[in-house]
Amino acid sequence: MTSKESCRNELRHAVRQLSERGLYSASKWAAELLVGIEPETPSSRPCTSGVTPLSSTMRHLFRAIAAAESPATSTPPAGVSYVSTPIPADDVDHDDYDSYLLAKSCFDCREYRRASHALRGQTGKKAVFLRCYALYMAGEKRKEEETIELEGPLGKSNSVNAELVTIERELSSLHRNGSIDSFGLYLYGIVLRDKGCSSQALSVLVESVNSYPWNWSAWTELLSLCTTLDMLESLNLKNHWMKDFFLASAFLELKMFEESLETYKRLLTIFRLSDYIQAQVATVHYNLRELDEAEVVFEELLRTDPYRMESMDTYSNILYAKESFSTLSFLAHRVFLTDKYRPESCCIIANYYSLKGQHEKSVLYFRRALKLNRKYLSAWTLMGHEYVEMKNTPAAIDAYRRAIEINPRDYRAWYGLGQMYEMMGMMFYALYYYSKSAALQPNDARLWNAMAHCYESAPLGRIEEAIRCYKRSADCNDAEGIALHELARLYGELGQTDQAAVYYKKDLDHMDSEERQGPNYVEALFFLAKYCKSVGRYEEAEHYATRLLDSTGPEKETAKSILRGLRASHSDFGSMDIDLAP
Amino acid sequence: MREEELERLRAIVRDCVGRHEYASAMFYAGRVALATGDPTDIYMEAQALLLAGHHRRALHLLTSSPPLLRDLRFRCLAAKCLEELKEWHDCLTMLGEAKVDEDGNVISQKDSNMMNLDKESDDHEINILSAICLLRAKAYQALDNRDIAKQWFKAAVKADPMCYEAMECLVDNYMLTCEEEKKLLSSLNFRKEDQWLYAHYSCMISKHEKSSILEAKFRDLEEGTSGSSFSISPVNKSSKCNADLMACKAEYYYQCGEYQKCFDLTTAILEKDPFHLKCVLYYLVASVELDRPNDIYVMADSLVKNYPNKAVSWFAVGCYYYCIKKYSQARQHFSKATSIEGTYAPAWIATCNTYAAQQENDHALTAYRTTARLFPGCHLPMLYIGMESMRTRNFKLAEQYLLEAKKKCPSDPLVYNELGVVAYSMKDYEKAAQWLELALNHVSFPLSELWEPTLVNLGHSSRKLKRYQKAITYYEKALALSSRSLSAFAGLAYTYHLMDKFDEAISYYHQALWLKPDDQFCTDMLNFAIEEDAQTRKDFL
Repeated sequence: MTSKESCRNELRHAVRQLSERGLYSASKWAAELLVGIEPETPSSRPCTSGVTPLSSTMRHLFRAIAAAESPATSTPPAGVSYVSTPIPADDVDHDDYDSYLLAKSCFDCREYRRASHALRGQTGKKAVFLRCYALYMAGEKRKEEETIELEGPLGKSNSVNAELVTIERELSSLHRNGSIDSFGLYLYGIVLRDKGCSSQALSVLVESVNSYPWNWSAWTELLSLCTTLDMLESLNLKNHWMKDFFLASAFLELKMFEESLETYKRLLTIFRLSDYIQAQVATVHYNLRELDEAEVVFEELLRTDPYRMESMDTYSNILYAKESFSTLSFLAHRVFLTDKYRPESCCIIANYYSLKGQHEKSVLYFRRALKLNRKYLSAWTLMGHEYVEMKNTPAAIDAYRRAIEINPRDYRAWYGLGQMYEMMGMMFYALYYYSKSAALQPNDARLWNAMAHCYESAPLGRIEEAIRCYKRSADCNDAEGIALHELARLYGELGQTDQAAVYYKKDLDHMDSEERQGPNYVEALFFLAKYCKSVGRYEEAEHYATRLLDSTGPEKETAKSILRGLRASHSDFGSMDIDLAP
Repeated sequence: MREEELERLRAIVRDCVGRHEYASAMFYAGRVALATGDPTDIYMEAQALLLAGHHRRALHLLTSSPPLLRDLRFRCLAAKCLEELKEWHDCLTMLGEAKVDEDGNVISQKDSNMMNLDKESDDHEINILSAICLLRAKAYQALDNRDIAKQWFKAAVKADPMCYEAMECLVDNYMLTCEEEKKLLSSLNFRKEDQWLYAHYSCMISKHEKSSILEAKFRDLEEGTSGSSFSISPVNKSSKCNADLMACKAEYYYQCGEYQKCFDLTTAILEKDPFHLKCVLYYLVASVELDRPNDIYVMADSLVKNYPNKAVSWFAVGCYYYCIKKYSQARQHFSKATSIEGTYAPAWIATCNTYAAQQENDHALTAYRTTARLFPGCHLPMLYIGMESMRTRNFKLAEQYLLEAKKKCPSDPLVYNELGVVAYSMKDYEKAAQWLELALNHVSFPLSELWEPTLVNLGHSSRKLKRYQKAITYYEKALALSSRSLSAFAGLAYTYHLMDKFDEAISYYHQALWLKPDDQFCTDMLNFAIEEDAQTRKDFL
């Protein structure tokens, strides 16, 4: 295991090298991590003076996490040995360096074509990378402009980055010669991904991170290409500590939350103060529906880094789910003042309006968020939800489809699509989308309920399958109790009264435990009363019928008649008893 | 006049000619010729007159003394005058009767009583016979007798391989098919020190060879390693940046569909030699393919200013209009180009293409037929006629034309692709697959986006032959070239559908519909797939 000092050293180099190549977000990430390494003496944290140390609750939380992993916080877990990767030295050629400086300045001023032109004909690896990267950025910029010029519905457009072919040609020949550095490989990887050659992109990116693990952007691209656990396991990655960061977020993406938490805990032993890890841990909690834990972490994060934007949209989702209106309002106003034209802030504001029930305004902000970042997955899905609220089916479908195009593992979008098609009466389609959703999130009862409903509906009419779906749903701890009731009803319709009774009983118990009453409650009582009577369990039947008397409506009358019948048979029994008595 | 004085005057004449002071040259040559009456001096005077633009006077001078005309050089000069005067019949008469066979072998040179009045005929010049053949060829070409012209051009090259002009005419005007070109080249006798010229010619004619072979050829020529004598030769040193050779390379790139490479190369050449017209041509056509109207505009503007009498200038203007999809204006300018230079093949073909682009089938066919007649060695008109016939679903006819095109140029992958499409349309899937495989075999560079349709077609054919796995491989290859191919997605989806793999099928139908939401086939098939999937779905429990 590497020591803190060597991590710090590696990261310091990385920040400089990444920013020299215009890889801003990767360099920001590395710098953030750098200050997240706990100093040997806590007072010497190399950070702005205004930052307060972790509050006692947080310390407690992380101590607990760390302690759970290993007996002593500083001892590394056994069995993990990291490969040390040498920090590549930069090739500095002074003749070329001047034009590199010009190019870098142009790049920083977003004059990409000029930057690329300034480095024409140069063969140094750094120069080649910056030239190609500038060209790529120029192409992207032009693509964005074209997208706005030729905007279709919801900003859909067919414009592509026109420079891809040129860049790919150059980089692939360099790759063949073996004269490409890890940054070049990273760029080659994203070019290949943009061209749709994902498997090739994957192998190139693996090459890149193996030779230079500190480029977080490369890891992120790799992450977006790894859609299954099998793919993740088949990657041939060197065992660097950066790999753990990758694996942790990959586990989060693949819904392996426990593994993800484990890994983050391990990383916390070195990067004790890392805001990034905190945010990720909170996101894991959010995904585990442990909203309170997540909220605590986010609150803390916002206190230490008040102008942070990353992951704050997740925080707003939590607040939305908890309906804590005032906190969300506070957050929305704060991000509005910090930077209102960030996709995250737009998303937070959209959530705020949605919670207030102003769906038009919410959609407006989601659209703005998406204008700023076309690949903003959660905004697409959430915007779909808003359109659902506004009953705008085509727009909702479009939004969900965009979400799926970006990440086909988003079960909410699949579910949304299913809902929309169900609404339009296209049950076959709805079933397909629901099944996609359920395959991704097999523990969500709502999805199984929806699927069952499709199976039951007219064009399919496959009651067998519907029943199996409802059973799955009941296994998933269906909070609303729909599955139990539906199961009982279906069995009743099929004439399998024994089964029906079992489920009505379960449903009734469920409702009792939650002290809920309603039409289902009445129906269950009614059925059970009649059923028990018919099979001769008169005691139970009487019990149910009596409870039924509390309800209003026609059932009350029936209950009375059942009771009367019961009494009559009771008295029969009674008389028989008398008869038999000596 | 004394001999040394005459000698001085002769030197003055040569000097004046060299400095393009033709009036003085004429004056002094006249004096010398009058004084001596020597045929050599008369020849000099005639030449001065010709250069000064007094064609008729020069002709008169040469014809006034019949014995002179028994010398080939005098005749040749006289014929040259007649050529300038555009009196083609007289020109041919002046050159004398002669016959030539298919392969350009001169059968009978009737004037056996030739005599050479010029004593100092040296080897450095191009053989005079070759010059005569070239003049004949040009005369026949001007008289629209292209067949005979072609034979005389061949004769000219055969008489002396150094006659570059004849070779250029043959190649640029598509007079010969690929086979004929190769045959001609192999029949030429080069001197040992002229081997580089052989290499150059072979670069000129190989338009569809495999890139590896050709690249090697070019490299040899550029580095000058094709012979030991070669590296000493002074011509050779400059051939590294020889624009003519580079233009051949650009043409080759263009033929192979490597438009970006062609564009880059021509841009580089034009920086050094901005009005190298052959290069300009390939710069223009590559720009059209890459859709860069702005570059064409600048080029056309400067061409029209500087070379208003050249076909290529107006061709450039036409290209600009073609590029911005104003086809009728484009056609006007193309026809202006052809009226300036009747044998300017690019303008003819472009004219046809404007008709095709406007979907004017009949006009297009007529135009292609004319072009095919004018340029018998060019396979493109045949190919396009085939394509047009296919558009009108006349598959039998299309196949005939395409086979004809294949005969003319057996190495163009596009022809094979079209043959494959015809076979597919006639439901002969086995044959279609064969043709399409051949097409891919003939592609000389690593496959580019250009060949995505061929791969998709192969996928379709394999699917029809029920080789589903193979079909899927082809479709996936196509998608690797271009990730936005509707037909590849639809093909993949349908193939999986036929294999009863509904999950994959549905997901690919979705991707196809994402590209084109109103595609009827995919919408319908998606409905079927989703219903069947729902009926058979079991896997989730």
